[in-house]
Amino acid sequence: MAVQIVMDPTGDTRHEFNTADASALAEAERRFKQLTGAGFTAAARTADGRSELIRHFDPTAEETIFFPRLQGG
Amino acid sequence: MNADGLLLGISFSIPLTFRLLSVAFGRAELRSRRRDCIAIPLSKPEHRAEALLNEWLCPEQRATLERHGYFEVRGCHTGKRYRIRRGRNMNIEELGKNGAQVAVWCFGPAGHLPLGDVMLTQKLALETNEQAALGVANRLRRRT
Repeated sequence: MAVQIVMDPTGDTRHEFNTADASALAEAERRFKQLTGAGFTAAARTADGRSELIRHFDPTAEETIFFPRLQGG
Repeated sequence: MNADGLLLGISFSIPLTFRLLSVAFGRAELRSRRRDCIAIPLSKPEHRAEALLNEWLCPEQRATLERHGYFEVRGCHTGKRYRIRRGRNMNIEELGKNGAQVAVWCFGPAGHLPLGDVMLTQKLALETNEQAALGVANRLRRRT
C-alpha cells in the first residue's frame, strides 16, 4: 500500500492505494496532477528518511506529501 | 507586655499578614493560570498536524523539537543550516558557520493550516526546494 497525504485545515487527508492495482494507480496519478496543477508541491520520503521533491507522479513512491503553495510571511 | 509593645507588634503584624496573604493569592493565581495553559487541549486538526510533523521529522529533529522547541534542517541548494522554531511567522533562523543566527526568514504555506503543517511545510521546502522557498520568503535582519 502507498499513501498520498494532503495538508489541509483538518491537519491532513490521506489517500491510500494499492500500487499493484492499475486503476488505483491511475486514480493516484490523476490526484497527483490535480493537486500539483492547483499549486501544491509534492515531496516523497526516501528510504533513508529524507525527503525529495517530485515533479512527476512516481508509482514507486510509498509516501508522498502535498503541501500548499508557499508565500512570504 | 506594655501597651506600646502591643501597638508596635500590631503595627508590624498587620502589614506582614497582608503581604503573606497577597503572596499566597498570587501563587494560587499563578498555579491557576498554569493549570489553564496545560489544560487547553490541542484541537483535532492541531493534533493531527503535530502527529504528521513528528512522523516526518528524523529522530534527531524530533528530539530537539521536544527538548528545545526547535529543529534544524539543511538547505538542499546551499547546504546552509536553518533552525525552525515553533511558530508561524519569523520562526526560521539561518545559522552561520559558528551556529550564530545570521538572518531570519519568513515564509509558509498559503491558507490557514494547523501549526504542525506550517512547520512541516517549512522543513520540506528548505530540504527539497530551498531556492524557491527563499524566493518567496521575507528576509529579516539579524536579531540583536
